[in-house]
Amino acid sequence: MTATIETPSRPAPFAGRELRRVPPTAWVVLLSGILLLSIVFSVTLGPADIRPAEVWGSILGHLGLDPTALGGQVLSPLRDGIVWELRVPRILTAAAVGAGLALSGTVMQAITRNPLADPYLLGLSSGASLGAVAVILLGFGLLLPVAAFAGALAALLATLLLAGAAGALTPTRTVLAGLAVSSFFGAVTSLVIFWSATGDTYREILSWLLGSLSGAGWPAVAIGAGALLIVGLPLMLTGRTLDAFAFGDTAASALGIGVNPTRWLLLTATALLTGAMVAVSGSIGFVGLILPHAVRLVAGQRNRVVLPLSALAGAVFLIWIDTGARTLFDPRELPVGILTAVVGAPVFALLLLRARRIR
Amino acid sequence: MATVFRFSAHARRATPLLGAVALLMLTGCASAAPAAEPSKPAAPAASAYPLTVENCGTEVTFEKAPERVLTIKSTSTEMLLALGLEDRLIGQAFPDGPIPDALGGEDVPVISDKVPGQEAVLTLEPDLVYAGWESNFSADGAGDRETLASLGVNTYVSPAACKEAGKPDTLRFDDVFDQIEEIGALFDVPGAATELIDEQRAALDDLTPVSDVSALWYSSGSDIPYVGAGSGAPQMIMDAVGVTNIAAGVDDSWTPFNWESVVDANPDVIILVVSDWGSAEKKIGVLQSNPATAKLDAVVNERFITVPFAATEAGVRNVEAAATIAGQLEKLGL
Repeated sequence: MTATIETPSRPAPFAGRELRRVPPTAWVVLLSGILLLSIVFSVTLGPADIRPAEVWGSILGHLGLDPTALGGQVLSPLRDGIVWELRVPRILTAAAVGAGLALSGTVMQAITRNPLADPYLLGLSSGASLGAVAVILLGFGLLLPVAAFAGALAALLATLLLAGAAGALTPTRTVLAGLAVSSFFGAVTSLVIFWSATGDTYREILSWLLGSLSGAGWPAVAIGAGALLIVGLPLMLTGRTLDAFAFGDTAASALGIGVNPTRWLLLTATALLTGAMVAVSGSIGFVGLILPHAVRLVAGQRNRVVLPLSALAGAVFLIWIDTGARTLFDPRELPVGILTAVVGAPVFALLLLRARRIR
Repeated sequence: MATVFRFSAHARRATPLLGAVALLMLTGCASAAPAAEPSKPAAPAASAYPLTVENCGTEVTFEKAPERVLTIKSTSTEMLLALGLEDRLIGQAFPDGPIPDALGGEDVPVISDKVPGQEAVLTLEPDLVYAGWESNFSADGAGDRETLASLGVNTYVSPAACKEAGKPDTLRFDDVFDQIEEIGALFDVPGAATELIDEQRAALDDLTPVSDVSALWYSSGSDIPYVGAGSGAPQMIMDAVGVTNIAAGVDDSWTPFNWESVVDANPDVIILVVSDWGSAEKKIGVLQSNPATAKLDAVVNERFITVPFAATEAGVRNVEAAATIAGQLEKLGL
């Protein structure tokens, strides 16, 4: 079964064929290492001048280890708070959100056979933002993740139904329907903000539209990591199913996959994952779009490989982008979505230009 | 300095010279501490119209004292009330909070809770729209300044709120007083302006500044705190009471800041800006619920100071803001 399901090995658009010979497990090990190093290093960066030894001392202390082991230093409760209550949860949230969005993007691209599919472009993020902004303004902040998920699911349904009603679900139609839905939900969000934001509270809500990890504390880590574990991990294991979809619905059903139930199950899972991520970070664009493509360039098309690598690469990517957002203009902060777009849009343009074969 | 506003065509030519004079007077004010009033015209003469002022890079000419004025934001409403010009106000918009009883103004209708649209402004047939923020004048706000001018409606922005041209590099009380003087000249009430300035200078001189007290000026925001920075009204007020602003390093009036820097600086007090939309309780809640800021000395010991929002933008209530902060610092034993 494996040999037939695998995506035909298209000639690599530009990545060296040598890269393709690197075994997938080597990539996973390499990226996991980079992720770990990124966490350890980025936690030492920030507006407050705290030495790496102090940072690691704080972390070791909280992990129940002797802070002075491994050269760590004990630091004051306030500075300890900077590390353990501000930096660590924010970086872990960035990792979870980056991984979750990249995973959602990979699954959506495979299921819809649409290289442009991504939670942001298909309107899921703006649907989730609307849900989140609405419950915040109504004062039911506790329902935030639920509302974000409901919004994401509603937007996904709207996009797919709209695209489907216009004919077969071609990539072009799906993207256009996503554009319509995302514009509409974005407009309703702006309307809600326009009518209810008082004074300069619009700044708060702007961070929903642009995406921001500034407020990410341990509860955000719990939501992000929880969603990644409960929804993301099973999704990561659907590589074979996704590969089957690559050949078309007929081929997939010939391989014994219930095409429609599977499609809806997987898409609902991506909506759930996206909703959870938007609930903690607002709608951050481009992560779900570009990372799967970047991974495919170096590791090939097989989703079994692309899924875990995208998740790892997404985590590393968002950690560094968010580190930029909180340190580049110190002591001011940028909404992280601005940076993902600034970095992501040109990368995506580059991918488009170099990978003309992707239709 | 009042002469700056007295001539229309000549004013511009004379600007460099007058600027130099103004500078001399400013330095005079700064160095000569209390009572020593800089020499000024004995009795302020009546304004001679037409009168042209340069306002945020836009030239505005007044043929006569404005009679039908719409104000946007509290600072502009309160400025006119403080100069006894309530009868010129046909409406106010976008109020930031209640007007202090002493200023009156109960009968001035609020035409909009936010920035009014262009048509809503024009139907009132104002001869001047006086805004607290430059951004209030935009096509999707109260109207473009040029458009309003072509329809015969003059516009004026509080100079401290200019975005580029006309914005003081670092706001000083002298800039605020200059604005009071300019408004006095525009409305032909120079006497009232002088009186108000003298009163405010005296109140300012009465303040006893503290020392070695650091503060966070927490204006709004929760994930990203929006705080008073190093060159606007918050800094000016903090300088007057002698506290050190932990965000003084950012060259702006207000700035988005980050909690990490706040925790790192661990300020002695936190000044909470109170408005209809952002109560002190809400801000204290934010500070207490974030585990990192909950450990701040000011939060643990509840060293909070409140100041009304409308008094924190450049205008006639800045001296009052300084006085209330000074009073609360004293109560906290600082």
